[in-house]
Amino acid sequence: MDNYGKLYKEHTAILKHREWRGFKDTMYDYYRWLVTWKDMIKMVLKAPVSTVKGIWRYRWMASYLSAPSFIDRHVAGLRGPQLRMAHLHYNMIVKHTTDLINLSLKADEKINPCNKISKKIVLMDEIVPNEVFTGFPNLIPVPLQTLPIFLSSMVDQQITPPYLEVTESFGVPADVCPLPSAEAGVAIDDDYPKIGCCMIGTNMPCDGSIMNSSFLDRRINLPTHFFGVPLRYDGDDVQEYAVEEIKSLIAFIEKQTGEKFDWDEYFRRMKDYNKQLEYERQKWDINKTPYPQMTGACFWLYRIFYFNLSGGTNERFLKVDEKVNKIMMKAYEKKTPVSKEMRHRAVVWSCPANYYTSFANWLENCWGINVVMDMETMISYLEIDTEDKEQSLRDLAKTYQRSIMRKHTKGGYKNVVDELWRIVEEYNADTVIMYDQISCKGMDGLSGIFDDQARERNVNFIWVQQDLMDPRTISRRDMREQVNKYMQTVLQEEPLDASLLDFEDDLAW
Amino acid sequence: MRDLKHLYEFEKLLLDANNELVQKAKADGGIALGYTCYHIPEVLLNCGNCFSVRLRAPRTGSMDIATYYMSNFLCGYSKAILERAIEGGYNFLNALLSSETCSEMNRTAEHFELLELVPEDKFFVTFLDMPFKIEDHTVRHYVTQTRVKILDKITSVYGVDTSDDALLKAVEEHNEVCRIMTEIGNYRKEDNPRITGYEYHTLSLVSYCCPKALILPMLRETAEELKTREPDAKKNYRAKIVVVGSEMDDPEFTSLIEDSGALVVADRYCFGALPGRQEIIINKDEDVLTQICLHYLKTSQCPRYMSHEKVQERRDYVKQLVDEYHADGVMYEQLKFCEYWGYERALASYIMTNDYGVPTAAVDRQYTASASGQLRTRVQAFVESLEIKKIQKEKGGKKNG
Repeated sequence: MDNYGKLYKEHTAILKHREWRGFKDTMYDYYRWLVTWKDMIKMVLKAPVSTVKGIWRYRWMASYLSAPSFIDRHVAGLRGPQLRMAHLHYNMIVKHTTDLINLSLKADEKINPCNKISKKIVLMDEIVPNEVFTGFPNLIPVPLQTLPIFLSSMVDQQITPPYLEVTESFGVPADVCPLPSAEAGVAIDDDYPKIGCCMIGTNMPCDGSIMNSSFLDRRINLPTHFFGVPLRYDGDDVQEYAVEEIKSLIAFIEKQTGEKFDWDEYFRRMKDYNKQLEYERQKWDINKTPYPQMTGACFWLYRIFYFNLSGGTNERFLKVDEKVNKIMMKAYEKKTPVSKEMRHRAVVWSCPANYYTSFANWLENCWGINVVMDMETMISYLEIDTEDKEQSLRDLAKTYQRSIMRKHTKGGYKNVVDELWRIVEEYNADTVIMYDQISCKGMDGLSGIFDDQARERNVNFIWVQQDLMDPRTISRRDMREQVNKYMQTVLQEEPLDASLLDFEDDLAW
Repeated sequence: MRDLKHLYEFEKLLLDANNELVQKAKADGGIALGYTCYHIPEVLLNCGNCFSVRLRAPRTGSMDIATYYMSNFLCGYSKAILERAIEGGYNFLNALLSSETCSEMNRTAEHFELLELVPEDKFFVTFLDMPFKIEDHTVRHYVTQTRVKILDKITSVYGVDTSDDALLKAVEEHNEVCRIMTEIGNYRKEDNPRITGYEYHTLSLVSYCCPKALILPMLRETAEELKTREPDAKKNYRAKIVVVGSEMDDPEFTSLIEDSGALVVADRYCFGALPGRQEIIINKDEDVLTQICLHYLKTSQCPRYMSHEKVQERRDYVKQLVDEYHADGVMYEQLKFCEYWGYERALASYIMTNDYGVPTAAVDRQYTASASGQLRTRVQAFVESLEIKKIQKEKGGKKNG
């Protein structure tokens, strides 16, 4: 829709009314909006007392009330099959999140002391993917930071600053990466639910998260195992250590919980994992063609969500993938355009800002810049062996070495610099949206090299500064302005929708 | 106190990474191996005709080019090393042994490769993968890494003898340096120490930055000289402190602290002697390389170790230093933009104050700190607070807080 920007109320960017997408698509979108509310209400009705107590107890809980607005932001401008695929994916995210909230609050010993569910929960750092837990079907893995800060900061940009202030008041410098800093803030503020019988920490993804583990550990105070994943992962010389680490993780869980690792269940779930991977790679293959079918934020958001939070543990994800695959293949066969006008095929590189996950939608609607691939999506795509135990662990170890925010930022510049150019070529991209996450030391350390090599390759290389979790440093509006300037001054293009060029959304969720 | 005989000579050696002794060792056919991190076992770089040089960038001025390559947001040490490398300051190196222990220094080392900064035909950079805890399999991993990426590499490229005998010989020399530094360091436990923090910092730095064989005679002589050195009758300090923190190779920082009224009695930072100058004890039953690696893993006080026992050990160790060296307080220092120490200094200083009852101050600093008025004011305030606490203690008032 042209003039999409005029739909926004000033500052809050709340929609004055829903987007008109033609009768059929508007009705579908409205139906999906109702489904989101239905899932949220269902969550409340499943445990009304715990939910209400949770809203009073935890600052971050209320952020999830804005989930419908989050989805609206991410489906802006979509039509036909793209709208349907996006809604299916986002709905799965909502369903899984509401289940997770429901479970966390019911098991929370602060809200429900002496409940039995908590003892079945293995708490883990959110960066540890779920795959290994598929071998413990009687246990429930819960990622510690996901609900209180990681997801909530995507839904509501206002939720992180108070936690950052807590950490900074404690004495941690303001220049560290705001993700681990905010996680530490939640710990200092005692805003994590009290759940679980033991905890899995990890050295992933980066230096900041290694260091905030002391803060989390001090607050959580459970028997903890630190799961190490090699950094220089390209060499064979680290693989034995990597496998030993997984074995030692399994041994720890077995010792703490009395459960035995169930290889049959693990293999069964890894078959699902591999199938999901197959669907994922089909999306990528389609996006390499002149008729990409899934661009924008949905692509990476769904990818990181199921990679880390499901990892084969939840069959519903696979069903969604099957449905989406059918829609996608049909649309591809019909050569359906992915958006109104695709002027540029872009690759997004480096970590996206949690407070502006829908940035890619804005790029598409305002400038016709379609993101055909991004760094977060391009995490491990290795299949996991489902017959041989040792081989399977080797595959799993390699998968963990290539997980979110880890695969590219560690193990040497080749994994992030050379890999970018490989992807640009493979996806026939003419533009790179290069996030300059100002507190990411691993990426900052290569900024000049990126510039040098981009000049040699003559691609549109657009730096977009952002501060990952802190919209006060670089706001959403500031991020948009950097692209506007490049498009208008360097490429001298006119926007697709001028109403989206500049608007205020500093008070928005 | 009388000046140490070799102090001026030591200070001169610290003005350049490619100092007089490094040049002499190179002229004698030595192979210069650069490194920056404690996790690269220094002793392994002193096998055969190799010698280790822990990299510093003395007299750093503008870091404009490094800032272009690595942005404004990386620590001054990593940028200063890159800037100096681009200027050609490390052209004497035959190899750079690095590890991905911190992202920032890792990126610096990668630039040596990317920009081909050292015009030496056989020059190479190698990167170790470091574990985060000490268990049997992580020790094995570390041993494999050091064997493959350090020993095998220097053997294949430069034909260096890295047999067990060569390792034992290097350990012997290393241990002599350690014994001397420990003997000298023990004087800092005295009521009125006969050596200042600045002097010790300078000695410590030359022991890291100069070829061992060439610096040893001067260190031996200094140790001998100190046996009879008399401290000034009147104490030149108002409080004793332990300095704990990140990389610090600038003796001017210690000088600034001491000019502000504190005496630095223990140096628990990278480039310090605690740890770094403890003898490596080798038995005949176990593999030599494994024992060396285990020594470094066990003695490392780097905040990147995550396991409970290592975290606890870090705090206990600082408390132990405070007690052993009769310090009045601890100063946690952090190089600005250092992710590890940014967290560690905040939490550890809180815990030392509240759980251990040791007064602490936490400061961040730039790579070159000598001209920092702000830092001076912070140190002066800390010294005053320590004095007040002493007075309160003498009067039987509150001990800490």
